[in-house]
This record gives sequence, C-alpha cells and structure tokens, in this order.
Amino acid sequence: MGMDPKQDVLRLPAEKLYARELEALKEVDKEERPAGWQLSPKAVLTFIVGGQAGDTAITPKYIGHKRLVEMAIATLLTDRALLLIGEPGTAKSWLSENLTAAIHGDSSKVIQGTAGTSEEHVRYSWNYALLLAQGPSEQALIRSPIFRAMESGGIARFEEISRCASEVQDALISILSEKTIAIPELNREVAAERGFSIIATANTRDRGVNEMSAALKRRFNIIVLPAPSSLETEIDIVRRRVSEISASYRLRASQPDEETVRKVVTIFRELRSGVTLDGKEKVKAPTGVISTAEAISLLTGSMALAGSFGDGRITDEDVAAGLQGAIVKDEEKDRVAWKEYLENVMKKRGASWRSLYGACSEING
Amino acid sequence: MAESVRRMLGDQWVSGAREPHRFGVRHLSPAGSYHLLALLEEVQPTAVLIEGPSDAGGLAGQLVSRGVVPPVALLAYTEQLPVRTLLYPFADYSPEYQALRWAHRNGRHAEFIDLPTEASLAIVERKREAYGEIERKREQERKQERKREHGNEDANEDERERKRPDLYARIAELSGEPDYEAYWERHFEHSLEPGSYRAAIARFSEEMRAMTEEEELRAAPQESAYNEIRESYMRRKIRDTIAAGHLPERIVVLTGAHHTPALTPERPAMTDEELALLPRVPTRMTLMPYSYYKLSSHSGYGAGNAAPAYFELLWQCMLEGDLDRLPALYLSSVASRMREQGTWRSTASVIEGVRLAEALASLHDGARPTWKDLRDAATILFGHGEFAVVAEALARTDIGTAIGSLPEGVSQTPVQDDLNRELKRLKLEKYKTLVAAELDLDLRENRRVQSEESAFLDLNRSVLLHRLAVLGIRFARKQHARQADATWAERWVLQWSPEAEIETVESTLKGETVELAAAYVLHERLHACADIAEAAKIIRLAGECGLPQVAGDAVSALQRLAVDAGNFEQIAETVRELSVQLQYGSVRRIDTEPLLPIMRQLFLRGCLMLIEASGCNDDAAAGMVSAIHAMNAVAQEHYSEVDEPLWLSKLKELAERDDRNPKLSGYAFSIVLERNEAGEEECAREVARRLSPGIPADLGAGWFEGLSLRNRYALLSRDYLWRHLDAYIQSLEAEPFKRSLVFLRRAFGTFEPREKAAIAELLGDIWGTGADTTGEALQRPLNEEEKRSLDELNDFDFGDL
Repeated sequence: MGMDPKQDVLRLPAEKLYARELEALKEVDKEERPAGWQLSPKAVLTFIVGGQAGDTAITPKYIGHKRLVEMAIATLLTDRALLLIGEPGTAKSWLSENLTAAIHGDSSKVIQGTAGTSEEHVRYSWNYALLLAQGPSEQALIRSPIFRAMESGGIARFEEISRCASEVQDALISILSEKTIAIPELNREVAAERGFSIIATANTRDRGVNEMSAALKRRFNIIVLPAPSSLETEIDIVRRRVSEISASYRLRASQPDEETVRKVVTIFRELRSGVTLDGKEKVKAPTGVISTAEAISLLTGSMALAGSFGDGRITDEDVAAGLQGAIVKDEEKDRVAWKEYLENVMKKRGASWRSLYGACSEING
Repeated sequence: MAESVRRMLGDQWVSGAREPHRFGVRHLSPAGSYHLLALLEEVQPTAVLIEGPSDAGGLAGQLVSRGVVPPVALLAYTEQLPVRTLLYPFADYSPEYQALRWAHRNGRHAEFIDLPTEASLAIVERKREAYGEIERKREQERKQERKREHGNEDANEDERERKRPDLYARIAELSGEPDYEAYWERHFEHSLEPGSYRAAIARFSEEMRAMTEEEELRAAPQESAYNEIRESYMRRKIRDTIAAGHLPERIVVLTGAHHTPALTPERPAMTDEELALLPRVPTRMTLMPYSYYKLSSHSGYGAGNAAPAYFELLWQCMLEGDLDRLPALYLSSVASRMREQGTWRSTASVIEGVRLAEALASLHDGARPTWKDLRDAATILFGHGEFAVVAEALARTDIGTAIGSLPEGVSQTPVQDDLNRELKRLKLEKYKTLVAAELDLDLRENRRVQSEESAFLDLNRSVLLHRLAVLGIRFARKQHARQADATWAERWVLQWSPEAEIETVESTLKGETVELAAAYVLHERLHACADIAEAAKIIRLAGECGLPQVAGDAVSALQRLAVDAGNFEQIAETVRELSVQLQYGSVRRIDTEPLLPIMRQLFLRGCLMLIEASGCNDDAAAGMVSAIHAMNAVAQEHYSEVDEPLWLSKLKELAERDDRNPKLSGYAFSIVLERNEAGEEECAREVARRLSPGIPADLGAGWFEGLSLRNRYALLSRDYLWRHLDAYIQSLEAEPFKRSLVFLRRAFGTFEPREKAAIAELLGDIWGTGADTTGEALQRPLNEEEKRSLDELNDFDFGDL
C-alpha cells in the first residue's frame, strides 16, 4: 500500500512537508553517512537548526538550543535510544518527528503511548482470522512499528512513553539491550539492522503517568527540553509555526502581526513563570500548563475565527476568546488567576494594551 | 674583544637576521607547556626569558626548589596603604612554571622579563585613578560576570576578553562551538602536532591583535599605553640578554600569546631615560600556596581557569602520551564521585558517556571530546538529562581540592613567621594539625605558677585566637561556653587547614605581625563604622584581641557618634554591649574606665527617649521589647552607676500612658510589677482602666499581651489581676468579645501547659467551681458544637485589624 501519494491531507509528515529541503541537503551533503542514515550527522543538524544547502534555505525547525540538538544527534550516532523529556509544548514530538524524517526519511513508525497500549503494540500481534486458519505464519504476523524499524534499520518513535503501564515499558528493555525481538511461534528472531533506534518522548507535568523504571532509564540517553529561554526566541518559534500551520490549513486570514504575537507570548510567559517579565510583580499562575504549543494553537485558532467569521484580520476579540480558553481550564481557580492578571498587570500596561484588556475583561464578565 | 662580539650580536638581533624563539601561550595551558618543553629540548636555549615580574628573581629560584607543590602563587603587594596587589598563580601545567623547571634541571639561565612590580603596581594604580569611580564599579560588575565564563590568565588578558566579549562569542559561533572555551580547547589544547601549535597560536594572536589594537587605543587608551610600556620593557630585557652574551637563536622568550607579535626587534626597546621616568611604589613579594578552588576563580583573584583539575588530568595524559584515555578517566572519576555521594552509576554508563562525548566531538570534526562535551555527556548519562544531579560531582572533578604547599623556609611571610612564633610561645603548636581538637580556656590568673607568662597563658591564647578570627583565618572557632555567663571561660575548636595557611599569607597585606594585622583590620572597620552599635562591637573585639590602642580609638569614635545617636534600639544595644565590656574588663585586664561615662550618657539618653520611641506600630514593637529588656538589664546590673530611678520613673510613665503602643505599655507595667513598684491597688486600677468596656478590644488585649511577655510567675502570683481580667471579659458584648479573643488567644498561646493549668486553677478559685473541675473543663477536647462556633469565628470580619 505504501504512503498516500496525495498532498491534500490534513497534516503532512515532516519528510513530506520539508521534502524539498531534504533533497537539497542530500545533494550537497558530502560528509560520510553512518549506516542506515540518509544524511550525514552535520546535515541533520543543519536540517533541524536551519542554515543553507546550496541555494536552498533550510528553515530552522527547533530554535534556541542548538547544543541540545547536537546531543540528540550524537546519541543516535552511538546507536543509543533517545528519550526527550519536557513540559507539555516544549516541542518534544516535533523534534522527534523531524529528527526521524531527516535521518531515516520516514517518521510514520509511531507508537502512541496510552494506558491501553499493550505489549503486542510494542512487539508484534496476530491477525487472528489467519492465525486460526493457517496457524502461526509470516502472513498472520502483524509487525509493530518498532518491529518494522528493526527490519529496515530505521527509527521508531514512541510518544508519551510514561503513559504506558510499567510492564509495557519493560518490554522495551530487552528490545533496547538485545536489539532483537524473538517470535517463538515461528521459531525465529528478528535482529535489528544497523541504523535502528528509538526516539521516545515523555511528559514531566502529566498526571496519571507511570514512573519509568531505572532499568529502562539506563537504556536511554535522556535529554530534557526546556521551555524557550527568552521572549524573542519564543516569539520567533510562535511566528514560524503559525505561518507554517496556517499555510497548510489554508486559513483565509492574514498572519497575526508582530505586536499581537508579542502580547500573547508575553502573557503566556508571565503566567507560566508566575512573575512579570521585568521581575517586579508576582502573578498567580493558573493550574494548567501554559505552553508554547498552546500559544501557537491559540493564534491559529484566532486566524480561523477571523477568516471564517471576520474580515480576515485578527481582532483583539478573537485573541481574547482564545486566551480565555487557553488559560481558564479549571473554572474556579483559573478564572481568579486570569482576572487578577487582567486587573493587576494588563490594565496598567498602557494604551497599546487597552483594547485587548477591554476585550478580555468583557468575556470574563 | 668580548665587548665587540657582544655588540655585534646585539646588532644582529636588531638587524633581524637571527631572532630569539618567541613562544606565545595562554597562561594556564597544558598544550602550551607540552609544546614549550618540546621546543626547549629542540633549541636547547642558554637563556629562557619568561613573562613575569623582573624583580621576582630570587623567588623564581625558590619556585623550583625541592618540596614545592603547585598550585602556588607569586604575590606582590605595595608596602603602603592602600594595599594593591598583583598575583601570578602557577599550576603544574603552567608553561611559565615548566619553563623555570626545565631551566633549573638543565642549569640554564632563566629570567622574568616583565616590568618590575614596583613599576607595574604604580602604573596600575594610576590607571585606576584615570578610569574614575563609576567606570571602575561598572568594570567590577562585568568582571564578576565574565570571570565565570572565562577562566583566564592574568589581569590583562582578562581585560581584553572582557572588552571584546562579542568578538570571542563570534569566534565560537563561526566555528560552530557552544562557547569560546570549547573553541580554544578543540583547536589549541588538543593539538599535539609538533610545531603546529606554535604556528597556529602565533597567527591567531597576530590577527586578534590586528583586529583589536585600534579599537583598544580608542576605547581604552590607558590600557593600550600600559601594554606598550610592558612590551617595550620586555624588548629591552631581550636586548640586554643578547648583550650579555647569549646567542639570539639560543634564547627562548615565553610570553602570553597577545605579546608575541610585538616582541620583534623592529619595535623600539625602552631607553634608560624612559625607564627612569616610570612611576614607582615600594613593593614586596612573597610565594604562597594556592588552591585549585581559588584558581577556578570561584573566589578571590581574577586569574585562573574554570576547571583546573580537568586541565591537570589533560596534562597528565599528555605527558603519558595517552590523550585518548582522558574521556574515560574523566567520566569514571565523575561516576565515582557520584557513587561516593550515594548515587549509583554503572560502568556501562561511563562507556556510553565516552561514546556520546566522542560522537559530539565528531560533530565538530574534533578528534577528541572537549571539557564541554564531557560535561554534557555526564549530564545526559549520569544526570538523566538534569544538570543539577551531576553538578556537585562535576564541580569536584573539575575543580578538585588540590592545595599547593611550600616547604619550610621557603619565602615565609613575616606574618607566618610571627604566627608560628606565637603558637610556640603559647604552647599551641600541637593544635596545628588537620584534626579538630577542643581547647578550654580559663582566662583568670593562674596563681599557682611562678611566671606572669604562664599565669596568663590562657588569656594570651584567647587573645591570639580572637585576633586570628578578626583576620578571617579559619584556625579556631569559638564555641558557646558551657557555663552560662561565665565571663572567664571560653571553649574553642582548633583545626588547621591549607586554606588557613593561604589566609595567613593574605594577612601579610594587613600587617607584619598578627597583632598589627588585626589592629589594621579593626581600624579599617572603625573607619567605615557609622553607628554606635558597631562602634561598641569594635570596642569589644578590640578588648578580646588585647588591642587597647584600638579600643581607645573606638571609644572616641563611639563618643563622637553617640552625640548624634537618636535611635532607641541602637542605644539599648550599645548600652548592653558596653555593660558586658565593663563586666569582662577585669578578667581581660583592660582599662574600662573610659567606657563608663559613655554608658552613663547613652543610658540617660535612652531613658529620655523611651516614651517617644514607644509610639510605634506592632511590627516595630517586637524590637522595642528586646531593647527595653536590654536597658532594664543594664539598669539592674549597674544600678549604682546609672540613673536607675529615672529609668523606673520613665517606665512608670510609659505604663500609664494611653497614647503609646499598648503592648509596650503593658510590657513596661510588667516590669513595674516585677519590681514591686506597684501594689494591688494600683494594679487593680490599671487593669480596670486598660480593660474597661469603653476601650477598643484590640488595645486592651494588646496591653495584656505586653504584660504577659515577661515574668509569668509574677503574674500568676497576683490573683487580683485575674479577677479583673475575668470581670472584663464577662462585661464584653458579643462582638467586642470576638475581637478581644484573637488577641487574648495570641497572648496565651505562648504560655506553657503548666502555666495554663495554673491559670485554670486561678479562674476556678475565682468562679468558685474548684480548681480541678475548671481545669478539666478547660483542657478537655472540644465537642462538635463548640468547634462549630469556633469555626464561625474564622469567618468573622476583623476589618481593620
């Protein structure tokens, strides 16, 4: 069956979205490529942090922490599995997808960790109709994404690994240390091709997660992804992603202007850290996570509102509606925090904030 | 004939035909040392010229004598105040140190060729003046900042990197390295190719110089001028060396890389006239043991590099010709540090760490991991991504605890000599070990011994230990004496450490002997002192240190300050301090006579200020309570010397005033009660008045709180007090009752259960219910209904409270 050749899908995987950039990089990449890699480590780095490949400009995919990307690539170079940890919205999955796309060219071998993920999802399962009809056979075998990655010497992704039950997590241990999966029913074993690796992600702020065992942790190189370090970095990230997403969703609205992005990111950063940017005033932090990802979806949401129901330009009312939804998640407490922020901080910010303040307090009653 | 030969050689150098070998380094650089040694072996110079103060000749010889263990430092300081210093630290891997050792080993001539410290300190001082106050401050701040990022050679190199931070950041960025240190290490410290290091660094510094020279001349002309003076002096020294008969090609000149391009014969050497024109200040120099901790610039002087122990490791591996071992060595030492702290990390993690670090290096086309790569690998493998987990283990591995040492007799500073003499005289030598030992002192005269020396042995010991404490030399820590308030007993814990040795050497800057240095420190503090409490403290310290002269000065300072003193709390603290002094005086054989009039004067002022100062809010009242307590203690202690009746009359006035803080009025009243200056009648009247229904509940309760702060037995033994309190509470309406409850609860909250029981008994007697039943009723747990009504109180709006 293979991949759907149509481009008209809701969301393109990274290797399709940036196919042109990857091609350009492949063309100019003269450095040695490790077994199973389609690009050299340096080209992968360029793909992620941005740069130039011949005449083609490579857009930065992950901004602000080049050293962390270097460490991630170095990890994969040493055949170690990589675990990206961070608060929600620190671009863990984004980085994992793009790394996989650049190194392996196929970021679709994904296991989504949930409470319902079973060991079969990690290793293999059976097509029971065939199994009953023929007994154990290659045809009846359903290979997991990890299984397929091992066969092809590629990279499998494991999202939200800490949401899986401990025994499912532990199933990974033997895979990571032996680099094989045994199929006793067929009396054979798959050994991983060179280039096989796993990139997992885990959340630090989630409730109801299962603590990872020390044995499993030891088998990963763990990199903690921080929230964007500065206001300017975060604004940059938000603007880039908003323009990419709105292009693929064909939102019929103009991009939010610099001023609007700055305001939203400022509000998010202040509520996240519990203190105003100048460090002079404490603010009450809401219960939920106020991540960069939410700032991005807030702005694209506002664009959708403006495009569908407005004149195509984002108004302060659109942003206010988005802010309300993103910040007030727990009705009681968050509403108080948000209201206090409006009155104590935003109101005093002067003329340029006046209209956004007005729109916000109107919604908030 | 010899004369003409010499001249000819000199001329030849000037003509540039045969030049000395110029070797540029970064001062604390293992690779610099490595390649320098190779060059020395190859050239076999007859003279090695080194950047360093040219008047340190004798010390340079001592530096390589047997028993010297680096890190050590050469310290130059001005004889006169204010003391200015220059510091030249040497690690084992300092190229300068290795050059000195090589020359010593091979019996060649070695010499420092930089400006003598008497000139450089004078010029540095002028530079400082020229910069002006504001600039200096700003510089200090920035220096602090940069210090952490760039562990770096001497002050000048430091300056340079500071002034062009963007330039260095740019170099790092262009080379794709996370920071300039990583760039430097990857490109210079790891290169073991013979010859390439020297060529690379020469080119690097030449270009850097070309880029920055003009900018520096414009932005910091003083800096530029100082640099030029130094270099022309060094050129003069090179010329002199050639004139002394050394063949130019058999001379190696070792300087910071920045200077090498300038040490060419084309540029003019300093003339005799110019030399005579240089400003000079008298200076002294000494060698001192140094520590990697100080070198890492976490403390003290600016010179140093961030990870001395790591570079030491690098140096060792270089000497063994096995640089590839370094990553494994480093990471396993980090892992074992973590294991020492109880965090288990396996050998497998070390192996993975080495692989990761090597992969990181390969991303930068490096043959070997840098320090930064290794640290990042440790963070990921040992810290599971969290730097905080590995931070301590890394610091221990990077900086280490190495402390240098100098053998006996090598350049002792006068103050070290003096300290050793004193320790011997006071029979304390046996305590100069790394093992802590306790020492109990009895400061009184020992009447069973013959000589005065031994009669006051313990007193003299105490004086010395106090002096060391004032100097910040961590040899002795004073403990709380077992017997409370025994003015003659002291307990100390003594423990020697190499750090204490360093601190002793540093005290040289303050004076020739321990006594002089301590006096100097106290004088400085006195100079800066602006309030009477601090002055009184200095008087005490001077007394403890046996420095009557300083004590006298402090007394006059106190007198001067006392004239303007207008803060009751400060006055009370001072009076208390002076009172302690007067008590100690006899034991310490100090003339306390002059203190008495000051204390009397301050006490009087305190009395007069009491009423006014008591008009404060509840926050300030806490401090006032302890101040009143201190004044009262002094009044009782020195009743014959101070105006006690006045104090009492003021307390009574405060107790009666309604317009002061009620808590303080209550507190004053409790003292009056305690002293039996008020009888039952007065007490009854006062309680009735304070707690009468018309008075706002918070004022009444606040008064009672103040009253209960002192001697509770005095309160408990006066049953009429409780009768009135009872009557007062009964008279309250519901609303004021709730208000007063808050305050009463707070007042009684500090009572012990025993005391509460006593109150219950008292109330039982008053209510006629009998002590036991009342006690039981009051102490039993609350039932549901009572709890509910108490909870309702939580919702009570206390409004302005």
